[in-house]
Amino acid sequence: MTRFEELQQAIIDGKAPVAKELTDKMLKEGIRPGEFFPKAIIPAMDEVGRRMRECEFFIPEVLIAARAARASSDILRPLLVGADAMASAGTVVCGTVKGDLHDIGKNIVAMMLESAGFKIIDLGVDVTAEKIVDAVRTNQAGLVALSALLTTTMVNMKSVVEALSAAGLRDKVKIMVGGAPVTDAWAHSIGADGYGKDAPAAVELARQLAAA
Amino acid sequence: MRDLLFAQGVEFPCGGHGRCRGCRVHVLEGHVPINDAQRERLSAEELAQGWRLACQCTLEDDLVIELRQWDAAILVDDTPFVFQPRTGLGVAVDLGTTTLVTQLLDLTTGRVLAVRTALNSQARFGADVMSRVQFGVPKDGEKQLRDLIRQQIGSLIEQLIFAAQIPEGKITDVVVVGNTVMHHLFCGLDVEPLSRYPFESENLGLQSFRGQDLGWKLTGDAHVRFLPCLGGFVGSDILAGILATNLGERNDLNGLVDLGTNGEIVIGNRQRLLCASTAAGPAFEGARISMGMRAATGAISEVIVEDHTVNCRVLGNVPPQGLCGSGLVDAVAAGLELGTIQSSGRFADSLGAWTLAAPVVLTQSDIRELQLAKGAIAAGIRMLLDRFGASAGDLKKLYLAGAFGNYINRASAQRIGLISFPLEKVEAAGNTALLGAKLALFRPEEEDGSYASLRQRTEHVALNADQSFQETFVEEMVFP
Repeated sequence: MTRFEELQQAIIDGKAPVAKELTDKMLKEGIRPGEFFPKAIIPAMDEVGRRMRECEFFIPEVLIAARAARASSDILRPLLVGADAMASAGTVVCGTVKGDLHDIGKNIVAMMLESAGFKIIDLGVDVTAEKIVDAVRTNQAGLVALSALLTTTMVNMKSVVEALSAAGLRDKVKIMVGGAPVTDAWAHSIGADGYGKDAPAAVELARQLAAA
Repeated sequence: MRDLLFAQGVEFPCGGHGRCRGCRVHVLEGHVPINDAQRERLSAEELAQGWRLACQCTLEDDLVIELRQWDAAILVDDTPFVFQPRTGLGVAVDLGTTTLVTQLLDLTTGRVLAVRTALNSQARFGADVMSRVQFGVPKDGEKQLRDLIRQQIGSLIEQLIFAAQIPEGKITDVVVVGNTVMHHLFCGLDVEPLSRYPFESENLGLQSFRGQDLGWKLTGDAHVRFLPCLGGFVGSDILAGILATNLGERNDLNGLVDLGTNGEIVIGNRQRLLCASTAAGPAFEGARISMGMRAATGAISEVIVEDHTVNCRVLGNVPPQGLCGSGLVDAVAAGLELGTIQSSGRFADSLGAWTLAAPVVLTQSDIRELQLAKGAIAAGIRMLLDRFGASAGDLKKLYLAGAFGNYINRASAQRIGLISFPLEKVEAAGNTALLGAKLALFRPEEEDGSYASLRQRTEHVALNADQSFQETFVEEMVFP
């Protein structure tokens, strides 16, 4: 097993201390910080996503795997400067819409996007449309990811789309939506750019939207 | 087809939006077109065999269909209770999100003269409280739901009067209990505050009516009271549960978990009570379980492990058709015992589905649904105990109430980690909402029915707003 494979395994198994220790050790051995993402962290989280999709992994396993990935990437991020600077996959402003407090699904999507190389601005839960518009403007984000778990709050996704249009930002951002009551048809009807049925689908969608 | 079948008692778990498979019917004769929603929920094979989602079908010609659902038994209450005799007759109403139970009582003898149950007629507009709120936010929706439920309870009362053969004017008191959404919809209060964070309404108090104001055939001055709510979605059904278990009058610490369409939790003693609610019901009622159904004929209600094999008990002694809540909990407990299911919830050898008794199977995603439901309840109990500054060991008794709570096998509930208390501390308590409503009938003078002192001692905890809830919830998703 190569070092990269070892690190992948530690992340998939959710062993944060092992992931941290390995990352330190690999850096000492002279591996460049920029190599970790394409060779270990991104493939590991893609595998976590695959297992989640096949019902093999559930919320607890995905969360501890994401925590292990973060243990590694927290060490690496400050080192990704100069010659090691990594092209960011894009900046994503994410949050659970106003009136809704459901956090877990949004957190999983945020962590998986982060592990896929996106910069995440997580605004938390019960987020107003104004706050999202501000964050998009301040961070020059290219993507907005919205979550809602209640049929009564998913209507607030529409307000965000409208607020971004009113602020003249609609053509500068792509908007993706998700959450239990949300459907593809709903995403279309409110003028969003896409719907992710689960976290792995959201990562895939974010990649497509960022490339478009 | 939805409207026709609903009138016959068929349930529409997702509210008739084509989001679940609960209303599937087998078309034996006649033609029913297929739409996208049905293609998404039913396999090509099922469609070819003539299975359809009733909520998605428009009828043009005569049809012969076979239903996937059977009559469900609704939990009533015949617990003996202590009372102060008074004159007249009273009606106790347990207004549940899914089911309605009414009992006519002789207030002098305490005898139950008649019982009538029904499915809540609002259920065709959504199975859970949130979809009911969504439908009720626009004024005309609110009025429609209000009129429906008032008419339905009125007609049940007429049936009680007819069954007991008593004169109409004899009923002096009606006590109704239900969760906050049922309270608001019955009383005609604005449900909009319940549609969004912080999910708190200002109109939680006692609501009083005269029978004729509601259009009910009650002559004279029959007094109708909808008992007050406790906070958030926790309503007077739980207040009634506290009365029935005497939780608020005891020195030692006790708990009540009411598992119906919603899951509500109370812990407390005579000084202080804490209550909370979680949306945990759909898994237990079968709505999101692949072969889930309510506890009715054909449902596997018990799964027992004997000599490393599973044995299933089917309600009504007919071939198995599906899995109800108690069977689901038993099946997962059995899987954990046999090593078929790991503590992470995963099938040990990447089984897609585990056959309990052909054709009934348990799938990987069914286990995931159960993990969400049991995680929420177990986390709720843990957090309320924490808030109280108590530990599981301090609890003298935990009462399990509600349709599902009453029938669940306590050992299985413990095996899956839904409850983590010694079995001798856990007691099935039946329909405590109905029992509490009956007790309230005998105490009309008690603070005028407002229960101000009890409500003052009871604090509602908004679990979702607590930062640590999410973490506890995730921890409680795994099996012990």
